[in-house]
Amino acid sequence: MKRKFDHSAPAQRELTGPKYWRSLDELADTPGFREHLAREFPEGASEMNGVDRRQFMRLMAASFALGGLGLAGCRRPEKHILPYGKSVEYTIPGLPLYFATAMPLRKAAIPLVAETHQGRPTKVEGNPSYQPHGGASSLLAQASVLDLYDPERATSHTKGGMNINVADVNALLAKVSSTYAGNGEGLAFLADESSSPTRARLVGRLKAKFPRAIWAEYEPVQDEPPVAAAQAAFGRNVKPVYRFGAAKRIVSLDADFLHAEAGSLYYAREFANGRRVAKASDSMNRLYVAESNFTLTGSMADHRLRVASSHVLALAAALAGKVLGTGAFATVAAGLDFPNKDKWIEECAKDLAEHRGESLVVAGAHQPMQVHVMAYAINAFLGNIGKTIDFVAFEPSSASTITALATAIKGNSIKTLVVVNGNPAYNAPADLDFAKLIGSVPEVIRFGYYADETTAAAGDKVTHLAATHYLESWGDARTVDGTIVPIQPMIMPLFNGLSEAELLARVAGEQNPDAYAQVFLTIGQITSGDGKKAFEKFLHDGQLAGSAYPTVSVTLASQKWDFANIPGFTALSKDNLEIRFATDHKMDDGRFANNGWLQECPDPMTKIAWDNAILISPRLAQELGIVPHGNLLQVARKEEAEYTMGKENARIFEVSLNGRTVRGPVHIQPGLANYTVVLPLGYGRTVTGHIGTGSGFNAYAVRASDGQAFATGAKLVATNDHQLLANTQEHWSMEGRDIVREANLDEFARNPAYVDGIGMESHSPPVLGKDKDKDPAFIASTTPRGNSLYENPNLDGIHQWGMSIDLNTCIGCNACIIACQAENNIPIVGREQVKRGREMQWIRLDRYYSDGGADAEAFGAEGNKVLPEDPQVVMQPMTCQHCELAPCETVCPVNATVHDEEGINTMAYNRCIGTRYCANNCPYKVRRFNFFDFNKRATDALYMGPLGHQKDVPELVKMVKNPDVTVRMRGVMEKCTYCVQRIQQAKIAQKRKAGASGDVEVPDGTIKTACQQVCPVDAIVFGNIKNPDSAVSKLKAQERDYAVLGYLNVRPRTTYLGKLRNPNPHMPDYSALPLSRVEYNKKNGHTEHGVAPAHGEEHGHEAAKPAAEHGGHN
Amino acid sequence: MSGHASDHPAPAILAEVKPAVVPRRELVEHHRDFKWITDKICGIVEAKTPTWWWVCFGVAAVVASFTVSGLIYLVSTGVGVWGHANPVNWAWDIVNFVFWIGIGHAGTLISAILCLLRQKWRTSINRAAEAMTIFAVVCAAIFPVFHVGRIWFAVFPGYLFPFPNSNGIWQNFRSPLEWDVFAVSTYGTVSVLFWYVGLLPDLGTLRDRFTAAGNIVRARIYGFFAMGWRGSNRHWSNYEMAYLILAGVATPLVLSVHTIVSFDFAVSLIPGWHTTIFPPYFVAGAIFSGFGMVLTLMLPLRAIYRLEDLITQYHIDCMCKITLATGTMVGYAYSMEFFIAWYGANPYEGFAFINRAFGHYAWAYWIMIGCNVITPQFFWFKAIRENTTLVWILSIFVNVGMWFERFVIIVTSLARDFLPSSWGYYSPSIVEIFTFFGTFGVFSFLFLLFIRFVPIMPMSEVKAVIPAADPHAAHQP
Repeated sequence: MKRKFDHSAPAQRELTGPKYWRSLDELADTPGFREHLAREFPEGASEMNGVDRRQFMRLMAASFALGGLGLAGCRRPEKHILPYGKSVEYTIPGLPLYFATAMPLRKAAIPLVAETHQGRPTKVEGNPSYQPHGGASSLLAQASVLDLYDPERATSHTKGGMNINVADVNALLAKVSSTYAGNGEGLAFLADESSSPTRARLVGRLKAKFPRAIWAEYEPVQDEPPVAAAQAAFGRNVKPVYRFGAAKRIVSLDADFLHAEAGSLYYAREFANGRRVAKASDSMNRLYVAESNFTLTGSMADHRLRVASSHVLALAAALAGKVLGTGAFATVAAGLDFPNKDKWIEECAKDLAEHRGESLVVAGAHQPMQVHVMAYAINAFLGNIGKTIDFVAFEPSSASTITALATAIKGNSIKTLVVVNGNPAYNAPADLDFAKLIGSVPEVIRFGYYADETTAAAGDKVTHLAATHYLESWGDARTVDGTIVPIQPMIMPLFNGLSEAELLARVAGEQNPDAYAQVFLTIGQITSGDGKKAFEKFLHDGQLAGSAYPTVSVTLASQKWDFANIPGFTALSKDNLEIRFATDHKMDDGRFANNGWLQECPDPMTKIAWDNAILISPRLAQELGIVPHGNLLQVARKEEAEYTMGKENARIFEVSLNGRTVRGPVHIQPGLANYTVVLPLGYGRTVTGHIGTGSGFNAYAVRASDGQAFATGAKLVATNDHQLLANTQEHWSMEGRDIVREANLDEFARNPAYVDGIGMESHSPPVLGKDKDKDPAFIASTTPRGNSLYENPNLDGIHQWGMSIDLNTCIGCNACIIACQAENNIPIVGREQVKRGREMQWIRLDRYYSDGGADAEAFGAEGNKVLPEDPQVVMQPMTCQHCELAPCETVCPVNATVHDEEGINTMAYNRCIGTRYCANNCPYKVRRFNFFDFNKRATDALYMGPLGHQKDVPELVKMVKNPDVTVRMRGVMEKCTYCVQRIQQAKIAQKRKAGASGDVEVPDGTIKTACQQVCPVDAIVFGNIKNPDSAVSKLKAQERDYAVLGYLNVRPRTTYLGKLRNPNPHMPDYSALPLSRVEYNKKNGHTEHGVAPAHGEEHGHEAAKPAAEHGGHN
Repeated sequence: MSGHASDHPAPAILAEVKPAVVPRRELVEHHRDFKWITDKICGIVEAKTPTWWWVCFGVAAVVASFTVSGLIYLVSTGVGVWGHANPVNWAWDIVNFVFWIGIGHAGTLISAILCLLRQKWRTSINRAAEAMTIFAVVCAAIFPVFHVGRIWFAVFPGYLFPFPNSNGIWQNFRSPLEWDVFAVSTYGTVSVLFWYVGLLPDLGTLRDRFTAAGNIVRARIYGFFAMGWRGSNRHWSNYEMAYLILAGVATPLVLSVHTIVSFDFAVSLIPGWHTTIFPPYFVAGAIFSGFGMVLTLMLPLRAIYRLEDLITQYHIDCMCKITLATGTMVGYAYSMEFFIAWYGANPYEGFAFINRAFGHYAWAYWIMIGCNVITPQFFWFKAIRENTTLVWILSIFVNVGMWFERFVIIVTSLARDFLPSSWGYYSPSIVEIFTFFGTFGVFSFLFLLFIRFVPIMPMSEVKAVIPAADPHAAHQP
């Protein structure tokens, strides 16, 4: 399609003036020049083969067709579909919408705001209008989005394994309803616990309609104090709501209130508020923890006592006796023994007594009611009730128990069993043998999200009704304090599932029940006035104002409790072990077993992903003869022998308890009570998806009704087998390095800038020279970075992003890991790849134990040759530090990782060729490499590459991806971006808002990174450090602020606030310095505790009192 | 290069002081003449292909296929098929790269530096050593090219090469890896040129001999590559000048390539990498390993083709002594690293070195010390230098030791750096073991082709060092 134009040279005779040539070619009149003139476009341009309209259509036909098909991918309510030509109400393509909802979990739902993109939920956040949580959520809530898109959930209703349609289901439920109407003999329900008012209302209707039917509820784990304790203590139905924020002295009796107890989000938040310290004069709460397992609460303890769970009652009695000054509990306390017992109890009691009205004793929900009564008594005696602990009136569930149901089934009196959620065949007490029982019921209707062990156990006759996810159903729930929160669907049920409200309403006899109408009705009964308006407000706010349980005043009935059937005190030994059945940190009771994010999230203490392990104490390991020892050549490291070639090679042991046994790998866990064996629940699922199958062992197999939380009389027997565990942290010691900088509160009060006296920087000139003490904004914006031969952007953007992480409040709950994974489309890699160390999570929580050892010589070699029995622990969230002088950037040959002018170390994924040099040169080792196409390939076929069975990301899994974040392919490096997509969105919004005013600076607090948003304790703060008034600037201006490895002069933008401990100087285990500091001093050749004043001053070290030896710690 | 030493008249003072005549070892023994040398060296190319050659060639091809299939698997599936993981993101890939590049050092050193230093003993080994260099660079280049995650971006649109592109993004010229691209490609190019220029007279000889023998096809082929070499005075004059210039150009490259390779580590901030001693230490190590490999290759070649008159005991002595000298330098560097780590009082660096010697990878460290520091000390003894078999075995130890040196530097430093939480342990996968093993096949494959089709010694230069080439020879006693 060349077009020729006639630009012939003017004829010679037309030229009158001087002659100019367009080029020498024209003068020479070359053929090339003539050609050039004749062409419309210069050379090359008109060579392109012309594409006419017809050809274009022909070429594009296939693409058009595919494009049309592709549009069918979105799902939204069919009734409301409108063409985008007339915009769908509320919807702006590309911008997410947020709706309030809640995640129900036993008795304490988490109020949420769900982020939806074009009708599909991709991420949940805590509902900020629910004050007690302050916008935080948990790792389970974060991961629950993935469950919605689990391809292996029950995708259709089945009967005997064959799919049935919705009409059949409705007919079946109608038949049940009519068959048993009026009597209910032979009908039984077994449900999980629920806080839903709608369900309570519907259960009431069921009970009215089927008066003789059994309604039983079963939860495998207890997370709320037993009502019986409140009945015994106060004579009424109340439950405690703790006010940790007001408590200065806290004693936890085996209570993991920071994680495992109901309301842990609220409690963690309040607890952290009591620990937050800004200046030297600030006070901080003190936490005493007595526990058998090493929980997150224990990790925060200032004094931690390792005591068997079965001995906690004796301890509670001894403590109560001491506080109340009575000998009435002496018999209960008899037998209790641990080093310095009397002093421990006396000083602890004294400390409590000195803080009347601002102390708090909390007992673990799983502890027997007597422990709770003791705790209530202490709190009452100290005047804490109404101050640090409130009691709220509530109506306890009147449901029957699974044991009663089991008896009824054994008596052949149950003809139809409806199992609503839960998974009793898997997690019911082993002595009930529920899997077998359920098989003997003639008709089983199973309502569940997965076709699991219970469905399988019911055999061929079972009708499995596919339950909806909470993100696709209408419902309601209560939070820990009783506030009613709505559960709103974000998407139409993906697989025609049935919601719980609809199920129960149908059984109750309704013909066309609508879950929405059911919830509307429930709320309407509670609210007064304009029901519709109130309901809309309820949905919008995500909570029903004023619906919390009322606080009531209680008085201790008497001190004469019926302690007749007190479990006797059993001394423990290697041959008589205690087993503690612990709710797993990620699997909970096993319901999240098929969630890849949770499976791959390492346990916060053991750091094991994908499996559970039998946890035993180092002492027990020694007595069982499995204490590891390194080989002779390894003078520098007596690494635990389980680690062979960098993988934890755990010995398989057999645990037996009352004739039941279970096999599992043993992990030696520092900090456990000596003779307590911890078995995490929730693993060893047999009927679940491919993620959950083959993960860990099933501890329920040895758990009987009489010892659901802990039991004594267990034995461990070694086998000759080993199992490799996917442990993400092989090394437990900080090696006396200055990575986490700790001090005791009194040292901090004397020397608030103690962090500057630690580390290489304390021995070298200040990294920033004379600018060291200038404010962060000055350093960020004026310290020259550019003007070099290379084009470094000067950090002259109006925003300079930075982050501050408070190690003093971080409880190590892992929620940030999962929030980041959900926000940033981080793939899972599978057990085998985690074993190799290829996990992809952008945040890791480093967990270090210290026991003050570090006994090797100062120079070089590693210390801490044996696993400590009773360590202090520190947690450190570690992610990209966004160094201003980033070592990763200088080494990338292709400029794929560069700085922007706002101080973010950015990744240009498209440019990355994957040399991995940046990861090598990162001192924090926070870069993650896509060794395989983790997003595209199935985790079990990674090594098969393109020949594997999965060619692309499954459609359902694609839906969970955040459309604002690139999904990375293999061969690409990735890492934390400070959630750059959120930053950009906020900047765009601000620019639109600013208009001509030019005020484009994003206000402080507008942008929250995913990790910050989820954090229940507000340990992570992100913002503009150029603005001196921003929250992050103020935190960075604190004297506790330090940069990890600051001496490298990489100038990280993420800095940490040093950790503080608040030990009681009178306690027997008091140490004048945190144990990691003791190790640091030993390792770096400092005089013990910095006695020499000259030395101390010279280096800015705090000269601690020489008398304050750390001894006495056991 | 003939007769340079004799071009200048002896200073008058010599007559007065009458220095004792130091007997020079003969570089070609048994008074072999020009014709014998020509026949001997051309004979290797002209003779019928021996059976052993076919056997070795077949084995080499099979072994080389391991590398090929390993790389196909790698590129199709992902870097994960190797054993790398956080924190050890470089392991055998870069170990092998540095190992092969190091081996590539001896050739150019022998050709260029010894040429400029007028070390005449270089003549009989330089051709093979240069060939070895080129093949080693080929093997070395495989690793940095293929170890990347997305080779299709590294090579095809040339993210690694400074081509102008529509995005206006240039390479990062601060990155030592980018320097590697230039250093290695320059070194490879100059090595090939140097080798080829040196070949011209011999190719001419072969062309003439094939023409005389009536083998027109081979005569044409050799004639093509001989580029019209006629051996005229003017040709020789240009040739000598070109060779000298290339020697001058190649000399700094010998030092620069491994210096720049060492920058991959020295420029980083990882304890155990971040040390200023690396450039000289790497160069010494490279020469050490290069001579080790020359010995490993030349001694069998000498035995098979009965080249004892050309590669004499004197040659072996010289190479052993260089190995001894550079090996001792490397040993010095090892000890100096420890001293500086202690003297620098940086606990991170101190730990890195203690960990090398006594940590998880202590076995690798002591293999390295044994092979690199202790092995060459045997070369102090004449009896050992004269025991060819023993020298050959010791040269293998040198090769092994130098591989482990790179392994120790790269893997132990990465496995345990700053934060103990991310410490790990690296072990290779079967894929990378085979890929590395296969490069010996690639190398042998190329080297076998070389000894079959190219004169393995520069005939003209060897002839120039025999007494007959010395115009003053007649006057000597």
